[in-house]
Amino acid sequence: MKPEDLRLTSDQVGVIVRMLGQTRDREFDCGECRDHADEFAETKLAGLQLNEALALVEHHISICPECREECEALIKILQARQ
Amino acid sequence: MTQSEIGWLLALRAADSGEQAHAVEALRGTLQNGLRIVLSGRTDVSEAHIEDFAQESLLRVLARLDHFQGRSKFTTWAQAIALNVAFTELRRKRWQDVSLDALLADGEHLAEPAMIADDVLGTDEDRTRLVAALRHAIEKDLTPRQRAAILGELREMPFDQIVALLGTTRSAAYKMLHDARRALKQRLHEAGITGADIQSAFDS
Repeated sequence: MKPEDLRLTSDQVGVIVRMLGQTRDREFDCGECRDHADEFAETKLAGLQLNEALALVEHHISICPECREECEALIKILQARQ
Repeated sequence: MTQSEIGWLLALRAADSGEQAHAVEALRGTLQNGLRIVLSGRTDVSEAHIEDFAQESLLRVLARLDHFQGRSKFTTWAQAIALNVAFTELRRKRWQDVSLDALLADGEHLAEPAMIADDVLGTDEDRTRLVAALRHAIEKDLTPRQRAAILGELREMPFDQIVALLGTTRSAAYKMLHDARRALKQRLHEAGITGADIQSAFDS
């Protein structure tokens, strides 16, 4: 790819800056997020308050699009089964 | 753990092969049904794919029964595993031809000032100051692998693919990116740019 084609777009710079705004010292990684995704989906769907671990899941999916995609898909399935 | 969840575990581990087979088929049907709900509209997914994903997921769930802690319904736990199996494979197929050398080479360009234009976020003084600090931090504070990983994320490359290209584990790759974000944030902080400033740059 030519260097001029690599220049970051305003959307890409915006993504970086937003990620920095959301960065915390303590975060869940994807594995920790997945370990709690089932409980998170059920809790969100029930409209219950998130405990500390589930709040870390919510923070992680605000940064990680893949885990967000999987959590949203799980909630969609649970909704369809209600 | 409720009786229903205990029941699933007992049935899937049953010594009676008939009872176990019945439970396995019930679980396969549940996983397949769930995958169909979220994947059936995609042009890159056929019914055969869904069946394959369900089979792979079933094997993974059965291998991990000891990890189920009962914090959710058993079927929710198993479905989360199935979704990870399916989405991971779909992402892998899309990005399988990308090479690490190309990503590292492109990532190195991120360190060049010209890669982020002064006015990329607008001409407002606070925003140009933010961009200048960010550009400086990317050049000075990140390693080539961190720049490559960030570029991969910006291109919406699956995290598993970034992990594979870097030849590391998911945990190590996440830590590497987390360290990169913290280093950039720290540099912005040292330049007098706070989290509130970052937020307001996008709210205004």
